[in-house]
Amino acid sequence: MKLFKASLLTLALTSATSVYAESIAVTNATIHTMTEQGVLTNATVVFDEGVITAINPETVNADTSIDAGGKTLTPGFIGSMNQLGLVEVSAVSSTRDSSEKKANITFDASAAFNPKSTVIPYTRKGGITTNISVPRGGDDMFKGQAFLADLSGEFDSIRTTDVAVIVDLGAKRKGSRAMEIQKLRHKLQDAQEALSKAKKDKKDAKKPKRADQAINALLAGEKPMIAYVDRATDILALLALKKEFSLDLVIAGAGDAVSVADEIAQAEVPVIMGAINNLPSFDALHRTLASASTLFDAGVNVAYSVSGDTHNLYMLRFDAGISVANGVSKENALKAVTANVADAFNIDAGRIAVGKKADLVLWSGDPFELSTRVEQMWIDGVETSTLSRQDALRDRYTAETDMPRAYVK
Amino acid sequence: MQKFIPSVLVAAISVSLTACIQSEKQDEKVEINKNPYPSTYQVLPQQTTIIRNATVLTGTGERLDNADVLMLDGKISKVGASLSAEGAVIIDAEGKWVTPGVIDVHSHLGVYPSPSAESHSDGNEATQPNTSEVWAEHSVWPQDPGFNRARAGGITTLQILPGSANLFGGRGVTLRNVPSQTMQGMKFPDAPYGLKMACGENPKRVYGTKKVSPATRMGNMAGYRMAWAEAAEYKRAWDKYETDYADGKNPEAPARDIELDTLKGVLDGEIKIHNHCYKAEEMAMMIDLSKEFGYHAGTFHHAIEAYKIADQLAENGNCAAMWPDWWGFKMEAYDMIQENVAVVDSKANSCAIVHSDSSTTIQRLNQEAGKVMYRANENGFTIKAKDAITWITANAAKSLGIEDKTGTLESGKNADVVIWNSNPFSVYAQAEQVFIDGAKVYDRFDEKYQAVSDFSLGQQ
Repeated sequence: MKLFKASLLTLALTSATSVYAESIAVTNATIHTMTEQGVLTNATVVFDEGVITAINPETVNADTSIDAGGKTLTPGFIGSMNQLGLVEVSAVSSTRDSSEKKANITFDASAAFNPKSTVIPYTRKGGITTNISVPRGGDDMFKGQAFLADLSGEFDSIRTTDVAVIVDLGAKRKGSRAMEIQKLRHKLQDAQEALSKAKKDKKDAKKPKRADQAINALLAGEKPMIAYVDRATDILALLALKKEFSLDLVIAGAGDAVSVADEIAQAEVPVIMGAINNLPSFDALHRTLASASTLFDAGVNVAYSVSGDTHNLYMLRFDAGISVANGVSKENALKAVTANVADAFNIDAGRIAVGKKADLVLWSGDPFELSTRVEQMWIDGVETSTLSRQDALRDRYTAETDMPRAYVK
Repeated sequence: MQKFIPSVLVAAISVSLTACIQSEKQDEKVEINKNPYPSTYQVLPQQTTIIRNATVLTGTGERLDNADVLMLDGKISKVGASLSAEGAVIIDAEGKWVTPGVIDVHSHLGVYPSPSAESHSDGNEATQPNTSEVWAEHSVWPQDPGFNRARAGGITTLQILPGSANLFGGRGVTLRNVPSQTMQGMKFPDAPYGLKMACGENPKRVYGTKKVSPATRMGNMAGYRMAWAEAAEYKRAWDKYETDYADGKNPEAPARDIELDTLKGVLDGEIKIHNHCYKAEEMAMMIDLSKEFGYHAGTFHHAIEAYKIADQLAENGNCAAMWPDWWGFKMEAYDMIQENVAVVDSKANSCAIVHSDSSTTIQRLNQEAGKVMYRANENGFTIKAKDAITWITANAAKSLGIEDKTGTLESGKNADVVIWNSNPFSVYAQAEQVFIDGAKVYDRFDEKYQAVSDFSLGQQ
């Protein structure tokens, strides 16, 4: 019996499908659309070729129909600010591809993305269907370009590259934080001047260098600049830069954002933060478990990311739950792991609406609860398993056998 | 037991030999003070208290619905229906849950405090592979704001350990989670010391990169064995001194060695081993090592692969302290399974513990245990809340050698109690009131019982 189960598991592990089988309707679901439609009960969503084609159609037309039994269906959660696909074992340098000493603003780590990393199926257990991986870069304050990948485990996982520019500011181990913010301002000023000069002097205009092109993209508001800072003064300095250069600014980390919550809200700058970071640093003296709640109340669009090791990404939903226990509404916490992440990075994900990608999760209960699990998930419209190497190890070591465990597969 | 037989023999022989000798003039006996930094912990103001109509998890594997808990003179007096006591403060806990105070066997609060600053990074004397002479208590900064955060999560007792760079990292100390200006004011009275040992990647990396032994796992084992062999000699010398002195001779006391004092304490059964050890094959060798030198291998911490040798751990009486789901940060953490704690717990006479090693997750050990319970129950286990609570209470107390004092709600135990707003194994669970020795030390709804560290006070 156990052997039979084990071979099923093997099958499941190797059969992450890559073809759109057929159109699917999920009926009788409680759908959290994350759109103006809000929460729909007894609702139906239909998807085909990886795209949502109908919500609550008058007649359900699909090859396969799945009765959700009233359970909760959400958009797949979105991870961000981690190195998913760029690291297998953190301390094994040959399995790490997110850092590069000479990296600059153009550094695009997506070419190193490994869809076969064991971290990916494990992370699916957390209901995460897409992720924005960010490079750790090198000595430069610009760490490089973020990219969006899905968690299908397929070779075509990468959806968009050059999604956002990552810049690391704030407290420095050596030297002054002032120098970095000054350098950033100068870069933006120089690029702006070069652009206006090129406009005037069209015949002499040379094609700008790649790094300059990346700065120009920020000036044109073509993509967000994600800036890691904690201290309120650094946040304010960035808000000033946003105003001066019309940047699409996102604050990440944001440990002391509560001290300038109104200013952040007024500037319409999203914040990406760890919902459970509540220990003080000198740059973040005021963070508590209620920080997310304070920011939401001030009108800030908050997105959550999991702090620390990439392998912890699957815990994102628990962090959201803990934020609810500390004052955030369930709907806002759900936004913080879906629509608000998508909006911060300007990506087309995180909502259930006609025309959107069918990245969907059907939950056994409240998505944030410890006791809940993913019942079914679809990435790009394809049902995807949550079984991982961890399940194979568990089954091996809980099987009845007279033989060494190595024979239990 | 085996190890005591030779010394009894020696004693018998020496008595017969010395019978005819008049006792020499003896110098004053050299005594080693085993408690030179004694606890000055004082119970906070407390009064007789009855918690009424709660769902109570006793930590002994029992669940009582609509039950009362009576705390009298700082001890658990009774748990049961309709309790009364003269002058008792009554807390209506209908709809709430009550558990023993949560115990974390693996914390670095105070030795790696917040804010993280080099000046406060005092958790690892990573200067040589054997630093059995250092004591974590001498590094504890009692003003670490993390202690207060942990208290708000129901932590009443915690062991502060040195880091894992060394084969022998030094002594750990068990603390009451009460605010104090001094480490001694937090020190758990009469709790045994722990000795931190470390297997695997950390020691060999730290010293290997310095071109000093150990650079390999076999180097690790050699390092332990050489140290224990030396400790055995040291113990023999002191035992002989004791025996000779008792026989009326005037022996020369052996030279005092602070490092070997700690190892001798383990061989004497007074200090418990707390061994950072991830992998199955290494834990199995550490058990054999302990038998080779005559001590108990104690608790394995971060025991990622405990599930692979759960039978052996139970047979040998080892506790295993584990995370529910941390993995992948290094090779020895690659084989994590989410049911690890449950597999260890499923064996007779086992001792499964959920620990934190984190100033963040120590605030929610209840949820860490919950994650294990739910994942395991999805995969063939039938663990109930009344069982899962033991992973962060009774079993943790056993690991620290304080199971006669705390860890359950049995009559006579210290009244270390948490009132939760709901089932503690929910993501929404919060500790509402926390008691240590019957004294309220935290109240979520009363600022009077929310301590603030000196560091945080007055910051703008």
